[in-house]
Amino acid sequence: MTTAGREAGDRAAFLAPARRRLAGGVPANAVHRPPPARGPGDPVPLPRYLGLDRDDLVGTFVDAVAHAEGTCHVVAGGPSGPGAATLVDQLATELGGRTAVTSREPAARALAAELAARGITVEEATVGAAARAGLGVTGAVAAVAATGSVVLDSTVSGSRTASLLPAVHLCVVSMNTLVPAPADVLRPLGSGGDALPPSLVVVTGPSRTGDIEQHLTLGAHGPTALHVVLVTDGPVGASTRGAGTRA
Amino acid sequence: MRGDGRQPPAATLRQRTATAVADDRLRANVAAAVDRFATHRQERLAELDGPDDLRRAARAVKQQVVADLPDLLERFADRVLAAGGHVCWAATAGDARRYVVDVVDRAGAARVAKSKSMVSEEIDLNPALEAAGVEVVETDLGEWIVQLAHEAPSHIIAPALHRDRHQIKDLFVDAVAAPATLDTAPAALVAFARRRLRDVFLTADVGITGVNLAVADTGSLVLVTNEGNGRLVTALPRVHVALLGMERLAADWHQAELLLALLARSATGQRLSSYTNVVTGPRGAGEVDGPEELHVVIVDNGRSDLLGGEYHEMLDCIRCGACLNVCPVYRQTGGHAYGWVYPGPMGAVLTPLLAADRPGAAEVAGASTLCGACMDACPVQIPLQDMLLALRRADAERSPGGERALWRAWSTAWSDRWGYEATTRAATWAGWAAGLAGHLPVGRSWAAGRAVPRPAPRRFRDRWRAGR
Repeated sequence: MTTAGREAGDRAAFLAPARRRLAGGVPANAVHRPPPARGPGDPVPLPRYLGLDRDDLVGTFVDAVAHAEGTCHVVAGGPSGPGAATLVDQLATELGGRTAVTSREPAARALAAELAARGITVEEATVGAAARAGLGVTGAVAAVAATGSVVLDSTVSGSRTASLLPAVHLCVVSMNTLVPAPADVLRPLGSGGDALPPSLVVVTGPSRTGDIEQHLTLGAHGPTALHVVLVTDGPVGASTRGAGTRA
Repeated sequence: MRGDGRQPPAATLRQRTATAVADDRLRANVAAAVDRFATHRQERLAELDGPDDLRRAARAVKQQVVADLPDLLERFADRVLAAGGHVCWAATAGDARRYVVDVVDRAGAARVAKSKSMVSEEIDLNPALEAAGVEVVETDLGEWIVQLAHEAPSHIIAPALHRDRHQIKDLFVDAVAAPATLDTAPAALVAFARRRLRDVFLTADVGITGVNLAVADTGSLVLVTNEGNGRLVTALPRVHVALLGMERLAADWHQAELLLALLARSATGQRLSSYTNVVTGPRGAGEVDGPEELHVVIVDNGRSDLLGGEYHEMLDCIRCGACLNVCPVYRQTGGHAYGWVYPGPMGAVLTPLLAADRPGAAEVAGASTLCGACMDACPVQIPLQDMLLALRRADAERSPGGERALWRAWSTAWSDRWGYEATTRAATWAGWAAGLAGHLPVGRSWAAGRAVPRPAPRRFRDRWRAGR
C-alpha cells in the first residue's frame, strides 16, 4: 500500500483567485473566435496517420523505427530462436569485452542468455551494473506502428536504467502487442481506475540531441543505438514488407 | 545581483535589438536553426490527416482545460498525493523557491541535476539554490552550454541555438577545461558533454525537472526529452522535484494524447521525441531505480491573473516554440533581445504579463510585426497577434499624453473630408518638412532605421481630377 504524500501551501487560498476570475466567464476573442465549447462527453478527435498501413502494421513499424534512427529486426520463433542469432552474434562482437545487463522480463532474460552463451558477462540490472555495461536488454509492454515506438513499464522491467545507461539498448517486444497508433496505448491509461506504473516511457529511437547547430547527434545521454527485436509467433509470411531487417 | 553570474540584459528593447542585429554570426546561427525547425514541423504535420482540424480540436481541448482549471488542479493534486507524491501550492515565485530550497536542504544535497525547465528560469531558482550552497548542474546539452556561458536560454526548446560549434568548443575549453585539441565536430562535442555529465547524474542527490503536461485523471507528469536527461534525472537521484506551471494540464489521457501528437511535431518536427516519459508517483516496490521522494510544485506566479480576461487564451500555450521559429523578428534578433526568459511571440505576450515589474517589460510587446505567422504555426491556435496588439494598446493608454495627443489629433483631422483635404494639401507644400522631421527629437528615434517617406509634389486626387 502506498503511503499518501503530504501537501504544502494553502490549496484553497491558491485556487481562490482562479475561481473568482473564472466565475465571471471567459470573453471570446472577437477577431479569431474560439471553436465551440466542448461538452464533457464530446470525444477528443483521434489523430489519423497517413503513413499507417493497417494491413501491414509490421512493415509500418519497421519503417518508423528506421525513421527514428533505430533498427528493427523481425524475428520468428522466439528470442532464442535462430532468427535472432545473427543480431546476437553481431552485438556480442561489438561489445568487445564489456558486460551486459538485463531487466527481469522472461523475453529479455531469454535474449540475454543467448549473449551469455557467446561468452558475454550478463548481470541483473542494477544502477551500478547498468553504469558499467555496454549493452542493456529489456522487454517492452507494447510497440507502436505509426511512430516506431516501444513502451517500457517500470513495474514490469524493474529497471529504468537498463534501457538508459548502456550505449546500446536491445529491446525485445512481442508482435501480439503491436498496435497501430500512440492512442491505442495512451488513451486507455487510467480508464480502469488502476494506478499507472511509476515510470511508463514511450521510446522512439535512440537518445539524440540537435543542440549543436541542429546537427543530429545520437547518444546524447542515453543509448547511441536502439535495436528492437519484434518477435512473431510463426513465420513472417503474413507480412511481405516486414520480413527481415530494414535499416 | 544574480548568483549565477549572468549579466543583466541591457535596459531597453532598442539597445538589446541593436546589439543582436549587429552580430552577424548570431543572426546566421539563429536563421539556420529556425528554418530547419520550421521545415521539419511542416513535414511532420503533413503526415497527419487534417492537421488544422487537429489544431482546432487542440484549441478546444485547452480552452476546456483552462475553464475548468481549479477543479482539474484539485483532482490532479489528489491523485499525486494518493500515488505517494508530495504537492506544494506555490502562489508566487518566492513560495516555489523557498519550497525547493527547503526540500534540497532536507535531502542534505550537495549537488542538484536539472533537466530543462522554463518555470525554473522564470522563478530564478538556480541563484537561490546556489546561494544556499548547492551546486546546480543543467543537464540538457543546450542548457548546460548557456549555463557555462552565464547566459539565459535564447530559445525555449533549443537554448544554445545562437552559438555555433566553434563558439561551443571555445566555451568548453575556457569553462570546463576541455583539451584545446577537442574536435569541433558536433559528435565530439556531444561525447565530451556526455562524459562530463554522466558523473553528475550518478552523484546528484536531487533531480529537478519541468513538466510538459500533467494529466489530472491519473496524477501523472509527462516529461518529453530527446537526450534522455529527463529520464536520468528522474531515475537516479533520490529525490525528484517537478516544477509545474499551473496551466499545463490535461483532464485525461484522451486530451493528453492529442496534445502529444502535436507537441513534438510542432516543436522539433519529430513524430515523437525520443522519450515521452510518464511519471506517476515515486519508485514502486521491487524497482531498482527511480526516486524515493517525488515533489510536485504547482506554480501560479501571475498566471491566475490572466484567467477570464483579455489574455486568458495565453494559458493554452504548450511551450513548443513553433511561434519562435516562424517569427520574422525572432529570426533577426534571437531570444536574448526579449530581455527575460520567454522569447519570440509567446514571450512578447508573457513578458509584459508575468514580469510586469521588470523595467521595460511592457515595451516587449512591440517586438512583433503583427504578421500573424505565430498564430498560423501555433498547435493550439493562440491568437498571439491580437494579444500583442491589446498589450500595445494597454501600454499606450498608460503612457503620458504626448504621443497619444498626436495620434488623436490625426484621427480627428482625417475623420472629415475638409480636415483630410487641408492636411494632405499642406503636406505637398511642405514636403521638405518631412525630411526635417527625421532630425527633430520626436522623430529621430522613429527615423533611425527607416526611410522617412516624402509626400509627392502633387496629390493623387489632384492628378486624378486633372485626368492624368
